[in-house]
Amino acid sequence: MGNTPRATRRYSTRSPLVGYLLRRLGTSVLLLFGVTVVTFALANLVPGDPIAAALGEGAASNPATVEAYIQERGLDQPLPVQYANYIGGLLQGDMGISLRTTQPVAEDLAKAVPATVEIALLAIIVSLGVGVALGSLAAYRRGKISDQLVRVFSLIGLSIPTFWMALVSFNFFFLQLRIAPGAGRLSPILPPPPTVTGFHTVDSLLAGQWVTFTDALAHLMLPVFVLSLFTIGLLTRFVRTSVLEVLDADYVRAGRAKGLSGSRLLFGYVLRGASLPILTIVGLAFGVLLSGTVLVEAVFAWPGLGSYAYNSATSLDLPGVMGVGLVVGVVYLTINFAVDLLYGVLDPRVRLA
Amino acid sequence: MRTQFRYVAAAFGLTASLALAGCAAAAPEVSDSIVIDTAFTLETSDPGRNYVPTGYMVSKALYETLLDFAGSDESTPVAGLATFTQNDDATVFTFTLEDGRVFSDGSAITADDVVFSLNRVAGMTESKANFLMGGITVTKVDDMTVELSTETPSLKLPALMTNPSLAILNSNLVIENGGTTDDSDAAEEFLNTTSAGSGPYVLDRINFESQVVLTENENYNGDEEIDFTRVVIRNVSEAATQKINLEGNDSQIAVDLSGDQVAGLSDSINVFSTPSAQTIFLLINQNSEVGSVTSNPDFANAVRYALDYPGLLELAGAGSEQATGVIPPSFLGALADGVEQDLDVAAASLEASGYDGESITLEYPNDYPVGGVSFTPLAERIQSQLADAGITIELAPAPFTTQIDSYVTGAEAFSIWFWGPDYADSANFLPFAAGQKVGLRAGWTAEQDTDVVNLAAAAENSTNVEERETAFSNFAEALQKRGPFVPLIVPGSNIATASYIHGVAYNSTWTMDIAELQAK
Repeated sequence: MGNTPRATRRYSTRSPLVGYLLRRLGTSVLLLFGVTVVTFALANLVPGDPIAAALGEGAASNPATVEAYIQERGLDQPLPVQYANYIGGLLQGDMGISLRTTQPVAEDLAKAVPATVEIALLAIIVSLGVGVALGSLAAYRRGKISDQLVRVFSLIGLSIPTFWMALVSFNFFFLQLRIAPGAGRLSPILPPPPTVTGFHTVDSLLAGQWVTFTDALAHLMLPVFVLSLFTIGLLTRFVRTSVLEVLDADYVRAGRAKGLSGSRLLFGYVLRGASLPILTIVGLAFGVLLSGTVLVEAVFAWPGLGSYAYNSATSLDLPGVMGVGLVVGVVYLTINFAVDLLYGVLDPRVRLA
Repeated sequence: MRTQFRYVAAAFGLTASLALAGCAAAAPEVSDSIVIDTAFTLETSDPGRNYVPTGYMVSKALYETLLDFAGSDESTPVAGLATFTQNDDATVFTFTLEDGRVFSDGSAITADDVVFSLNRVAGMTESKANFLMGGITVTKVDDMTVELSTETPSLKLPALMTNPSLAILNSNLVIENGGTTDDSDAAEEFLNTTSAGSGPYVLDRINFESQVVLTENENYNGDEEIDFTRVVIRNVSEAATQKINLEGNDSQIAVDLSGDQVAGLSDSINVFSTPSAQTIFLLINQNSEVGSVTSNPDFANAVRYALDYPGLLELAGAGSEQATGVIPPSFLGALADGVEQDLDVAAASLEASGYDGESITLEYPNDYPVGGVSFTPLAERIQSQLADAGITIELAPAPFTTQIDSYVTGAEAFSIWFWGPDYADSANFLPFAAGQKVGLRAGWTAEQDTDVVNLAAAAENSTNVEERETAFSNFAEALQKRGPFVPLIVPGSNIATASYIHGVAYNSTWTMDIAELQAK
């Protein structure tokens, strides 16, 4: 009992924001733990024999070889023990060895993730710019022809299958118009720049390789265009709805009555007021972009997370599958965390005192 | 607002300019370079551990083997790094190395390199290629001569020695970098960055997910005269993208186009279509506990004669052929003609089988096209054709990785699968015999057909080529008449190239020899 006042005093001196951050971090760690349980369980529930897949039929028919393989990787341990070993490895940055590439999964992902982030990041920037512009335009011109056109465009963006759009745009812009480069991250004649960030555009600039930079940027255009279409459609609709709600708000009318117009009214009042739902959608869309690029990466021969996930799944590379699941989980948790923090930045009403 | 718009417009303009500049940079002159698009199956560039097609293609360019095949002819091995003689029993094979041949670092190739390279594969039990050296003893005779011996006759041994997994490595270099002849071998990491062979190319760089770059081996002193000093093998998993890349001159060769895709190519593209070495077949389980109806041999006969094979072949594209047996064309002992539909024979066999109209489940992998042939339309057509013959089929597709377990363990009563050779020899098809690997997957035990067991043994143990060809033909014919397999289609292999490239020759193991590609 004697300790209680001191404990209360210590708590009362802590900033509510710090408490909130600690709680969110704690929740994130718990969620991450849940993600590891789910990915581990799912990977081990998949029917199929990963040992045969890894060793090949010849070696897999040799009991001594199979036994040695199983013991070396601890596959003879009960699943809870294997899981504990997996978690122990994760805490030391060890995500296991890929059965397919025979390389550490962490190293494989360190190559694949930047390739996907590079297109996803650019796609979300383009989507945000275009989506906010079109959504605002549609809201300002509600009911007019431009509004109708924007709504049709966003519907098309949402409806067109990404895989089909990727093939069509690749055929049209590369083969027919010859204004886009071929598949891949770089032209075949160019060596990749020295790896610093894993983003070819950034790394080539850091290395002063201008030709490589322009080539990498050109190769980004089509995948980004295709990936952006869906997100632009989504954002446009949300921005339009949010802006419409705000346009009739008292503070916007007051601002207008005081003579505010143009960019100040749009950026300082309307978009700021409409920003929370937009932020939520951007966060979700970024997560979807990062984890949902399998088909686009297949068409554009993009060696990213989607390709790695597909190849791991089809070759029963369970450490690879678990690694991808974990990365996607971490991405979603991080984005949600960042979005929650940004709520407070954008809207003082949800700030903690 | 207007000022901000100008900034945004300027940013977009700059980005577009850079992108267009990049496009311009993306189409350089590449006359001495070649880009090959293929869907990667690449796990390592250590030849002794490789067992997958793209890996074979890479190894073939970087390394040499004791023997080789000339062009597409896989019937008779020819000299590679060595010539060979054999004893009358076909149990001892003596290989004599060609004089003066060197590795890419300029050091001479000797018998020690051969002994080390072959024993390394034999000793690495976890290597997928390890089985290739099963039962083979390697002995050095002198600095330029090596003897390979087996307990039983092994006329397949020369064909085995063409396999790129049995490539000859620079033993000194590999040993320096962790190479051993047992499971403690640790040279893979080194071989994944540096090649240690005598082939026409050396490894420049490799990324298992995206591309492999090969450059000319300056010290190469073999027979190949390469036209392309730099080769980029690129991972393009989507065949449609391979086609567009080729048509847009972003690549010069596309390896994985389907028959339908090559049919739509322009005249400026060369297409080399040939039957592959894969065989798509129906498995009809003979184990009554797995399939009560299918285990009756008359049922298998009914299915065999109920199918309209040309109708099935319509689903495959250029280069495809009806499978004439479990041994595909171009292999020793392959049958000249396949089964023809005979509905009367099918009806009589069906009646004799005691089939009572019950629905039979047809299982197949639905995400794993073989040579451009997707199994779902194939299964649907089989279902339709068998329905016409009075057999009711229910389709049960599943992903490859989940379906293969029940196939391997012999738990499927009726299914569609495929088989391809591990090396270019008809011995690869003996596992279809009763009591052997594939036979047992169909519940076909040795006791159920000792005659086929004897035919397989005769083919395995023959000691001269003529005797061997007859033995394999007899084996294939017996299976075609009463085996639990119905061979359907040998899918085509289609390699499409830019018009100025020739020298493409399909090989069932390494797909094509890059060193043989020539510019007109």
